[in-house]
Amino acid sequence: MTSLLTRRPDSGLGNVRSSPSDPSRNIDWFLMFLQATLATIGCFVVYSASRTKQADPFQYVTRQVVFAFVAVVAMVIVMSVDYEMLRERARFLYGCTIMMLVLVVVAGTVSGGARLSFDLGPIKLQPAEFAKATVLLALAAYLSEDRSEEVSYPRFLGGLIMVGVPTALIIIQPDLGTASVMVAMAMGVLLVAGAKPKYIALITLMSVATVIAAVVSGVVNRYQLRRIEAFFDQNSTDAVLKDYIYQPRNAVRAIATGGVRGKGWLDGQMTNSRNDIPVQWADFPFSAVGEQFGLIGCAVILGLFVLMLLRIWRIAHLSKDMLGTYICAGVFTMILWQVFQNAAMTIGIMPVTGLPMPFISYGGSSLVTFFVLLALVQSVHMRRYR
Amino acid sequence: MLALVAVLLVGALGTRLWFLQGVQSATFQLTLDAAKRREVTLPPERGRIFDSDGRILADNDRVLTVTAEWAVIRRNSSRAMLFERLSGWVKVPVADLEQRFQEGKDFFDPLLPMPLVEDVDEATVQNILERSEDFPGIDVVEQWRRVYPFAPLASHVVGYMGALDEDNIDEYLARGYNRNERVGQFGIEASMEAELHGTWGKQVWEIDAAGNTVRLLEEVEPVAGNDLQLSIDLDLQQYAEQALETKLKQRRDLPTDPKEADRAAQNPLDPKKENGERVYSSSEDFGMQEWIQYKAPAGSVVVLNHLNGQVLAMASYPTFDNRWFNAGISKEKFDQLFPQSDDPDKSILVNRAVQGRYNIGSTIKPFMAWSAMHSGLITAGDVYEDNGTYKLTSVDKEVCAEGVRCEFKNAVDPFGLPSRYGPVQLEDALAVSSDAFFYRLGEQFYILEGRRDELKADLMEFGFGADTGIDLPFEWDGRIPDDAIKEELVDIGVLAKGEAPRLVVGDLVQVAIGQGLFASTPLQLANAYAAIANRGFVMRPHIVKNIYAPLTPDRAGGFADLAAGTVVVSYETPEIKHQLQMPPEQYLPIIAGLTRVICPEYRERLESCGVVFPENRPRSTTGEKLFKDYPHDLLPIAGKTGTAQGAGQYPWNDSSAFGAFSLDPTQPYTVVAYLEKSGYGSKAAAPVVKCIFTALAEGLPGGTDEVLPAAPLELNSPYPAPPKELADQTCLGGYDASVSE
Repeated sequence: MTSLLTRRPDSGLGNVRSSPSDPSRNIDWFLMFLQATLATIGCFVVYSASRTKQADPFQYVTRQVVFAFVAVVAMVIVMSVDYEMLRERARFLYGCTIMMLVLVVVAGTVSGGARLSFDLGPIKLQPAEFAKATVLLALAAYLSEDRSEEVSYPRFLGGLIMVGVPTALIIIQPDLGTASVMVAMAMGVLLVAGAKPKYIALITLMSVATVIAAVVSGVVNRYQLRRIEAFFDQNSTDAVLKDYIYQPRNAVRAIATGGVRGKGWLDGQMTNSRNDIPVQWADFPFSAVGEQFGLIGCAVILGLFVLMLLRIWRIAHLSKDMLGTYICAGVFTMILWQVFQNAAMTIGIMPVTGLPMPFISYGGSSLVTFFVLLALVQSVHMRRYR
Repeated sequence: MLALVAVLLVGALGTRLWFLQGVQSATFQLTLDAAKRREVTLPPERGRIFDSDGRILADNDRVLTVTAEWAVIRRNSSRAMLFERLSGWVKVPVADLEQRFQEGKDFFDPLLPMPLVEDVDEATVQNILERSEDFPGIDVVEQWRRVYPFAPLASHVVGYMGALDEDNIDEYLARGYNRNERVGQFGIEASMEAELHGTWGKQVWEIDAAGNTVRLLEEVEPVAGNDLQLSIDLDLQQYAEQALETKLKQRRDLPTDPKEADRAAQNPLDPKKENGERVYSSSEDFGMQEWIQYKAPAGSVVVLNHLNGQVLAMASYPTFDNRWFNAGISKEKFDQLFPQSDDPDKSILVNRAVQGRYNIGSTIKPFMAWSAMHSGLITAGDVYEDNGTYKLTSVDKEVCAEGVRCEFKNAVDPFGLPSRYGPVQLEDALAVSSDAFFYRLGEQFYILEGRRDELKADLMEFGFGADTGIDLPFEWDGRIPDDAIKEELVDIGVLAKGEAPRLVVGDLVQVAIGQGLFASTPLQLANAYAAIANRGFVMRPHIVKNIYAPLTPDRAGGFADLAAGTVVVSYETPEIKHQLQMPPEQYLPIIAGLTRVICPEYRERLESCGVVFPENRPRSTTGEKLFKDYPHDLLPIAGKTGTAQGAGQYPWNDSSAFGAFSLDPTQPYTVVAYLEKSGYGSKAAAPVVKCIFTALAEGLPGGTDEVLPAAPLELNSPYPAPPKELADQTCLGGYDASVSE
């Protein structure tokens, strides 16, 4: 590990023109490896969970691989850009994001009672996904303008508004899951930026108030409420509620019956034959892992995520400026929260939301977003000497 | 602090995962195995069957069925108690309920409650449901039941339905049927099962370990089956069935007086022997009896429209009431009504019109005549001297002396001698039914190079030797003998071991008069006559006229409102298989000959068409006396008698055939009747055909019974179908024809 940190310049024979501090020579290859491994595992999981449920068993995995290539291209582009330069573009990107979010609320494609995406032919574009990256960037840029150790109250409020506007728009869509990611991200960044505990308590209060307001005002769809109701009343005999219990209950069954060693690749009773868990490849990939590979499989996946988080934590420390640290903190909390939320709803300790598991779940927007987020982290790592 | 949160969250995940997968895994596997889906198929309403006017021949009634949960009745103690309580309410003895359970426990669908008592009345249901706490697991469901409002008319055509059985269950289950469904077993019900059945709906239920439904996952409504309009005209059908049954009954009870025109078969004393032996002394059954009544056990009638190939009536006797098959009768009762028998005369559940395997006797002659002219063997003007006997020319005298049959005689006249007709042309040969004329043709076809195949091909062109493709099940192919067929018949033991395993000359001589190895169904015969009637168009006969979209509305009087229905598929356009060449010089002599069978006066009219008659007119034709009182002017017809000899060539085993067709293109009817073991063609089959043509000429239902909906099925009746009779039987009479064929 230390050799990676204090890597010595080349002897000069192979690459004399290149300085040891050249960004291209400071990529965190271990992080890259973790990311690639998770994405690859994701493709296999998507295949195993969707193959018997479509006429073409490869329909979803083929698309997922294509998304992965797109994500890699996006990643390379973002990595090649100095994040300092992005600081200047942050306002612009933030503005675009807000516009997109407004647009999608007004003119997005309705699906399941919510306007989450634009339908662009075969691709569904979810602006809320990309908002994760742009809002993070904008918030980090804004907070890092303050040089003090502890974030000042006005700046804290400013940051809150910055996150609050897009979050509110996302709640209106309504997509409580992504909104919760935004809140988590804001908390993470603000914590690292040195917000006082009372500020954090304020955010928590505000988000709770927002959720209650959203529910009361009827912005939140009935089905989202049903999921929460279902979570608290898992043995309900109510006919409508039964439909909402069905999916998570079967997910719990799938993962639990996997046992320690799992039932084996493509041997899962629920994952690989029947359609017991609707949209398993997008919402409940963790149950597919759990049924086929058991506790060991789940531990490997979570372990990889833990390693990834540690690696991001380390980069946050290595960053040469606060901007980089904040970016890392935001990415850290987002990944932590999404992995936790998705895995937790799969094993029945959280209500169901539409939050995908990073890198594993089927879905182009999510994959590209997380590749871009990690590209930002890489960018911080690559440019730590300048 | 962030790190703390992260550790907490990951820790929560890990703990829960460990708990689920490490500790509770086995418990969950149990629930998973128990949580099954139950898919219940919802059978659709079956399509209905109408006659050509829209009369509803097959309909569906909603019936209430008492069902029982398997879980309850599988336990002996609770079953005994339940049956005890239920028996009085549903008026079924406990033993019968128990028997139904024992027979059905491995048969009915285990996922559906077992149907215990079908067709329970409303009041009983009310009583049972009011005491539901006394009847755990008992429920009442609505089901469809097939009803036949005009039974037993056209039973052989409409057919019946039955439960799946061991032979067909796998095939039907594979097609998506559930075990409790009934399927068409016979007639249109069977052949059009795919159209009538409709599409299943389904309900998918999630069930828990105890077998209780948890929630409905999916529901698809069933789609009713298509309705069918048959070409059958039920008025005509009833008339044909009555005429057939009445005539058969008459033939079974004839006077034993040689002076009577219609009399029982005679076995006279042999004049050549003085010890009082009779002519047919080889018959063990009747060796010493002089008079023997015809058995007349069975018969069939086919009425075709020869311009479009539609079947207007199709009767088969003995007949049955198709309501027996869903009357819920016991096996004993069923065996009493439909006894198992090896005697083909007694078979009820065969449609003889399409399944009968018959020698057709002289009714084959028009087709032989056409083939002989078509292949250039003879022309219509060739004169043949018929002296009553035909001696084969192709077999050496020495061989004949060794016992090979070389002499073939005409049918005998009342004096027991073969009839002599003198010089005959083809037309006369048809009119008087000269066998010798056709024996010669048979031999010629045999000995001339390549002609055997030509004859077979010609007969096949008329539709013999292959099924007609009518939309009824179990149709027989018919048989035109050739070397291969004869070898097979010898192999399987149908023919005696001594028979040559190839065609010999005698076989074709027999074919020439519709005897021997040649066999056909009445429908094939009718279809071939239709091809002469329409001058050469061989069609695929149809009994389904139109297929209607499901749920055709009703109108008053037991009819469906066809005008309000939607035709999905129509068979009204004739389906022509091929056209035969019938130039006037070949067509007109055949028509002339067949017309003279019915009506000698037509000779003058036909002469104007250029047909030349020989100077000395032969004796009277086979049908002219019978048809003397027929309304020729209303509906001119032509026809041909046939007498097929049966076992032992005893007269009482003669089967009677007659084929006739209208000469009026505005009334395009072709009728064939075949009455087994009923005597000469002119005596049994021809009167039936005459009656049907008379009725057609004078209009239906004038002078006939009105077609009425059936009375409820008499469950104590010993008959498969109640006997019926023609109201006005005068048309069945007429004058005897002196010539026997």
